[in-house]
Amino acid sequence: MQLKAISVKGIRKTYTSNRRRESTPALRGIDLDVDQGTIFCILGPNGAGKTTLISILTTLLYPDEGEGTIGGFDLRRQRGRIREAVNVASGNPNFTDTFSVVENLNYYGMLYGMPKALRRSRIDALVEMFELETFRHTPFNQLSTGLKQRLALSKSLINTPRILFLDEPTMSLDPQISESIRLCLKELNRRDGLTIILTTHQMDEAEFLSDRIAFLKKGKIMVEGKADDLKRGLQYGEVIRIFYEGPPFRREWFSSLEGILKIEPGDHQITVSVDSRQKRLDPLIRTLMSRPDIRLRDVAILKPDLEDVFLELAKSPH
Amino acid sequence: MNWRNHLIKASAFALKNWLITKKRSFHLFEILFWPFIGLISVGLLTRFLGLESKKVEFVLIGIIALSVVQIGQLDIAYVILYSIWNKSLKHEMVAPINAFHLIAGPWAMGVLHSLLVFLLMGLFSSLAFQLNFLSAGILRLLLFFLGLTFFAASIGMLVCALAFYIGGRAHVGATFIVSLLILLSGIYYPIEILPKALQIIASVIPLTYFLIYFRSVYGLTPDHSNPLLWGFVLTGAYNIVAAILLGLSIRNARERGLLSKMSE
Repeated sequence: MQLKAISVKGIRKTYTSNRRRESTPALRGIDLDVDQGTIFCILGPNGAGKTTLISILTTLLYPDEGEGTIGGFDLRRQRGRIREAVNVASGNPNFTDTFSVVENLNYYGMLYGMPKALRRSRIDALVEMFELETFRHTPFNQLSTGLKQRLALSKSLINTPRILFLDEPTMSLDPQISESIRLCLKELNRRDGLTIILTTHQMDEAEFLSDRIAFLKKGKIMVEGKADDLKRGLQYGEVIRIFYEGPPFRREWFSSLEGILKIEPGDHQITVSVDSRQKRLDPLIRTLMSRPDIRLRDVAILKPDLEDVFLELAKSPH
Repeated sequence: MNWRNHLIKASAFALKNWLITKKRSFHLFEILFWPFIGLISVGLLTRFLGLESKKVEFVLIGIIALSVVQIGQLDIAYVILYSIWNKSLKHEMVAPINAFHLIAGPWAMGVLHSLLVFLLMGLFSSLAFQLNFLSAGILRLLLFFLGLTFFAASIGMLVCALAFYIGGRAHVGATFIVSLLILLSGIYYPIEILPKALQIIASVIPLTYFLIYFRSVYGLTPDHSNPLLWGFVLTGAYNIVAAILLGLSIRNARERGLLSKMSE
């Protein structure tokens, strides 16, 4: 049986404002299981509760209700042990502004109780891994956004965590740096078996990195699974795009066909979502070819991307 | 977890304090400049007023004690306040640290800073205003100094507790508490000249007793039964209460999501 890095049930959190006497539910009963050594992505629109969930799983925030284990430690009774086993990095990182890269890393290493020799070797390894060698003694407030993010990731690995939480780690980074960070995370996961939980707005990042994905909306997990399963599960199936010459498309052309989920007519092209390409391609082509006023030019098979799933879920009322 | 581990974590905050002092001239300014401005201006005022030497000594001891308390509490408060101002608090609070680590390191650093100020101010007072500071003897000086720094710890903890509730604005709390001490604990005058109600408040402030103790060494205050004991007992009680309040405020911040808010 696969060991669980995270196993929580019924996590609820409501923020209350004393001044306005308002309460805002942030999480409304989250059940989550994450296998050890996997990369798990939490997607969701702004205000979905992603950061609240990460804060609770790292014990920075206490839940109102719910129970479970993080790294095998009880979420309520063994918070100190959890803090030793995890670490976190977020987009828009902030550290003591006048401390250099090495001073910041040394300081955080000390907060995890690491002896001097261990801190020194770990800092050297992280500085090398994230290509910060030239900036060892540069104060935090003089680093570029990309370098700050690299420092944040270095800090998040200082205690050699078993579970790494990343809250939008490539936010506001240029594509090249984002790509190098993604590759680095993938390598850490592959080489060290590090469990990574990340939130992101970037679907390609989620799809590239994650073993499993959860969509969070209004404090609830809407769906959870592998990227391909999610696409299939939401009946996005497969998309066939047909290019032709002839009159504008009319819906009755395909009225007798089965397995069609969605039709999007275009200028001399029709985009058809079907439940199965293998079953539906042939009837589609035959139907069109049977019409004397139509000449087929090309056929393309498209895969729906995760963004379509995300947008569809974000639009749904629940 | 062993004691070495605790020591490293507490040292982290001492190191932070040291680096801030080293890199921020503003902090060094607060440690050295303001106390000396206060000492010199009050010393000159006593000369202008033509006060007799006993009264000059009375006032100068008050100024030195206040400076030690002020610096000691600032060092503790700044560890949290700088994290809030730098929006890095959540990274520290996600680490396996507790209130003891948060306070012990900066307190130790505060002791070093205030020892430096204590000695420099004492030396300066001797040279410029003829306060025979060392005549009290090492033991009495040490007890007086320790009492002040333990009391400073309780104020520092209270400011930190406030910071976990209201964020960076807690800095105002530090100034407020020190202002009250100036008014109530007999820095510039004996507490006997205060109205009765305020004398009662003064009698529960440890600084009042440490000042009575040290001034009595110079024959500046009437006999009081065991002022040192009262000072330490009250300081102990204040430290316990402040530590509980700090623990509660950290818990409250974790329950209300304030740590993340303070880091945004």
